[in-house]
Amino acid sequence: MKKVDDGPHSWLHEHGDYLYRFAMSRLHNEDLAADMLQETLLAGWKGFDKFAGQSSIRTWLVGILKHKIIDHIRREIRGRNLSEAVENDPTSAYFNSNGSWSDAPAAWKENPEDLFSNEQFYKTLESCINKLPEKQQIVFRMRDITGEDTETTCKTCDVTSTHLHVLLHRARLALRTCLNIHWFERGNRS
Amino acid sequence: MRHACKKISQLASDRLDRPLSLLERLKFKLHLSMCSHCRDFDHNIKLIHKVTAMMHTTDYGQTRLSEKQRQQLHNNLNAIK
Repeated sequence: MKKVDDGPHSWLHEHGDYLYRFAMSRLHNEDLAADMLQETLLAGWKGFDKFAGQSSIRTWLVGILKHKIIDHIRREIRGRNLSEAVENDPTSAYFNSNGSWSDAPAAWKENPEDLFSNEQFYKTLESCINKLPEKQQIVFRMRDITGEDTETTCKTCDVTSTHLHVLLHRARLALRTCLNIHWFERGNRS
Repeated sequence: MRHACKKISQLASDRLDRPLSLLERLKFKLHLSMCSHCRDFDHNIKLIHKVTAMMHTTDYGQTRLSEKQRQQLHNNLNAIK
């Protein structure tokens, strides 16, 4: 069944850039993305008999790659024990003991398109995201940047949806405060 | 009313990930109608949400495998097969 022109070399030629881009947008690491691509091509070759031909080769390979990436992130989270207890609540810092804002949010007048095209803001945003605790960063990137659905994010990170919402709330509180301090309060808009 | 800001901020965040229940929606709306801080918070995180959603599409739009990576992958595939 295996034809020479269906092999991983020709997949690399035809779909390599696409798959690599897909991996980069989720892993943000060139070596890792290339590794995942290689594993995907090999797994595809090994399991080619199972390819039913109902979807395109590309769609099929993307499916394999997705699983490889999810497995990688799961291993990463488990291996480094990146757990974050729900009980240990960092959001208390933003509120008084009675639940009111300790440092009240201010109105931001900018619109998203202008901010997005502002290189300085973009850098500030990146550095604020990088400052988040690792697990918050992983779930935030998956949900809000990559746009994965809740189910995939929960499965990958081994959390319940309730825990996911807690982590995202923490991430968004921290990010809002960071951007307020390093961008909006400073008034360094160009 | 201010005692609820912390809980309301959780709902403002949840709203970006799941549909709120009818009761939650009412609570949220009622609180926001009286609390400008929570209105600002809600607006702020929605703004961040919009900007981060844009990051994904453009960040890697031009990303390609380098020639070196491509060659390396071909070599590895040959070695393993």
